[in-house]
Amino acid sequence: MIQAEHIQFEYFRRDEDGNVTEMVEAVKDVSMRVKEGEFVAIIGRNGSGKSTFAKLMNALLTPTEGSLIIAGYDAMDEDNVWEIRKSAGMVFQNPDNQIVGTVVEEDVAFGMENQGTPEDEMLIRVAESLERVGMTAYRESSPNHLSGGQKQRVAIAGVLAMHPKCMIFDEATAMLDPAGRAEVLHIARQLNDQENITVLYITHEMEEVTVADRVCVMYEGELVMEDTPRSLFAKREELLRYGLTIPTVTKLAAELAARGISLPADIMNVDDFVSGMNQVMAYKNADAIRNVRSSQGLTEGRMDYSYSKPMNHSSGGMEEEERARLAMTEGLVCNHISFDYHPKTIYSERVLQDVNLTISKGEMIALIGHTGSGKSTLIQHMNGLLRPTEGQIFYEGRDIYEKGYDRSYLRSKVGLVFQYPEHQLFADTVLNDVCFGPKNLGLPLIEIQQRAFEAIRLVGLSDAVYDLSPFELSGGQMRRVAIAGVLAMKPDTLILDEPTAGLDPAGRRELFEILESLHANGMTILFITHDMDAAAEYADRILVMNQGRLVYDASVEEVFSHGKELRELGLQTPSVTLLMQELRQNGYPVPTAIYRLEDAVQSLEAYLRAE
Amino acid sequence: MIRDITLGQYYPVNSIIHRLDPRTKLIFTFVYIISLFLANNRYTFLLAAVVMVLYIALSRVPVSYMLKGLKGILVFILASVVINMFFTKGDPWIDIGVLHISWQGFRTAVYTMARVIMLVLGSSVLTYTTTPTKLTDGLERGLRGLSRLKIPVHEISMMIGIALRFIPILVEELNKIMKAQQARGANFDQGSVFKRLKNLIPVFVPMFVSAIRRANDLATAMEARGYQGGEGRTKLHPLRYTAADAVGYLLTFIYMASMIVIRIMITRGMVEQLEQMKPPV
Repeated sequence: MIQAEHIQFEYFRRDEDGNVTEMVEAVKDVSMRVKEGEFVAIIGRNGSGKSTFAKLMNALLTPTEGSLIIAGYDAMDEDNVWEIRKSAGMVFQNPDNQIVGTVVEEDVAFGMENQGTPEDEMLIRVAESLERVGMTAYRESSPNHLSGGQKQRVAIAGVLAMHPKCMIFDEATAMLDPAGRAEVLHIARQLNDQENITVLYITHEMEEVTVADRVCVMYEGELVMEDTPRSLFAKREELLRYGLTIPTVTKLAAELAARGISLPADIMNVDDFVSGMNQVMAYKNADAIRNVRSSQGLTEGRMDYSYSKPMNHSSGGMEEEERARLAMTEGLVCNHISFDYHPKTIYSERVLQDVNLTISKGEMIALIGHTGSGKSTLIQHMNGLLRPTEGQIFYEGRDIYEKGYDRSYLRSKVGLVFQYPEHQLFADTVLNDVCFGPKNLGLPLIEIQQRAFEAIRLVGLSDAVYDLSPFELSGGQMRRVAIAGVLAMKPDTLILDEPTAGLDPAGRRELFEILESLHANGMTILFITHDMDAAAEYADRILVMNQGRLVYDASVEEVFSHGKELRELGLQTPSVTLLMQELRQNGYPVPTAIYRLEDAVQSLEAYLRAE
Repeated sequence: MIRDITLGQYYPVNSIIHRLDPRTKLIFTFVYIISLFLANNRYTFLLAAVVMVLYIALSRVPVSYMLKGLKGILVFILASVVINMFFTKGDPWIDIGVLHISWQGFRTAVYTMARVIMLVLGSSVLTYTTTPTKLTDGLERGLRGLSRLKIPVHEISMMIGIALRFIPILVEELNKIMKAQQARGANFDQGSVFKRLKNLIPVFVPMFVSAIRRANDLATAMEARGYQGGEGRTKLHPLRYTAADAVGYLLTFIYMASMIVIRIMITRGMVEQLEQMKPPV
């Protein structure tokens, strides 16, 4: 299907006068063969050349050197461009930016319209493609009203309608929540299995990679590794060096192996792990399994249910005592807040319902919930960007809407980092951008600069970036500059909306390290995330939102012990918890109340040693 | 949510007017507006009003919706009535202190008001019964002849279509960026005009960057799906005239013809007898 021999792609960066300042080699000497019907995943850090490579495969770009044949057409020949694009369709990252039509069916037809397909044929193919991605019911909807996952399914249908031989997914799941990701991956896998469509799947999610037939790793424009997922994940050190990671289950197996427990090296999912355990146990003594001591004895000392609070108590009138109690609280209090969009109109829509919550100083909290559950609306209340329709918000004991309260003080103390915060950068230099916040506080110049220097240091950037334009930086660096812009206000509480969205595994790790060090220095942190592993790993307390209500507010242990209820809300438990449950179902009396990798390692080690 | 904002004001019911080809409705609206300026006496206005009532009734858009559209221009209508009423010279008819209302003034005021109201109603029905996409389609097809004059009709209509899709997204983004800068202490509603404009730089620069990024993404996505301009393209739902459109065109023609005939008859004084039913001066 694809034959790439020593392809090279470079472009020139120019200054304002058009002089070449730099030659960027985005793809360096890559050779790759993809057979018909293969499912090939491509992974690599942000900026490693994956997307450029994908565009070469769709003839959006032409290699500057080498030879490239796609579906039998020579991609070096300009005349074949349209034939190649017809045979190799592409699904892009941002669902909003690839939909052309104002109605779903029109968008699906867009590619066919371009080819001059007759009308009757188009109607049949539109119906067919929508059916295959399960979007028939939305045929006449406006794309603006669909979820991210649904929009990507529409985009896939648009490609399918052109009857391609090959489909390229260019980080098509990066901007989706876990449910959306699962939808897209499932469809990609299905098309590959049932229609024999060749798939090139670019992603940052290691769990998605496990379904591929083959994985290619790109690093600085080069193809550095190529293997089956199974053998690839056994090479942990190498992957880490390329800024990647391995699935959590594989990590767990590797940790155990490092402690002398010889699980097979090629474990990449829960099933593998279970069969690996079976092997280990069979080796020791198959009969021993049923005679082991009960799981209670193994329960970790870390369990602590005391944090759990009763939820959803009815909202009565505000008692004087209650007010006095809230006024004593040092941190941030949301007292029975509700919020309507467009209140008192026919468009009125309740997005928050009676949310009650106290954030004490020094906490590290994860806020989870599926898309549209009200998470982002809730955090915008916390620094006075949205005003609750009902209820009050207290900060340091004062109602932030009481007469004479200075909300700019609140905003300097409770920093809010939006999703994709790098999209808010605007100044000519990094330093000026970071100075924007403190400048708005009316501080003296020397103080402004000191704060900016400090903030840039806190996010782990060197002073070499001060005078660079923020737009010259990489995506990960831009995000850190944006966070520094909030830190320069010297907040005592930092609230972040999906801070790791779109980052590669190394970028995510680094970001959480920054948050942990801020927290260690006394900052209160609340972050929204879709990654349950990260929530369990980094937070002490978890808030769960569903349909505008706060349904859980408790410790990690308490919240994730409600696995069944969470699944009903479209959420998952951490992957180690899923694994422990699976092991237990397979007859291993291991504790299931395990939420962090480290605990899983200890618990399994203890269990296996006891055998 | 902001994404729910629909541009134009399409009212989704299934009426005969909704089903008409957008070109038919565009032509009718155009002809109707011209006819309102031809109308200069009670008979022509009466005819125009009757046609408008029928048109609205057939469209099945609730009258309250129609009136809502008029509310926005109420001040304008009242002002024009007052100006016409008091400042048109003619035989004094009613005196209120120093103010004189002439019969001619009163008549001009009423006619102007009728003209404005029916003009607004006429174009409202068009937007209530036609989706923005159909409207641009109709314009594209209707103006196709202009591409011979090197006017890029297809490209313009593609641009309008894309704009319609992206405006709600950009509005949402604008809202988000403003909030993000507010979270960093920006203030958008204080200070002099100049200062306020300056305060908007942290909003406009990211909006501009984002619009360019989106444009770039969309252009790439369109190219990847084989877009090469208007030539050789087909349409999923091409505009096609039906019998109803033929009737529509016929009625439009009859209406315009009647307007002209009545107007000519009046100027020739053939219905002068009827004109004598003037109120006493």
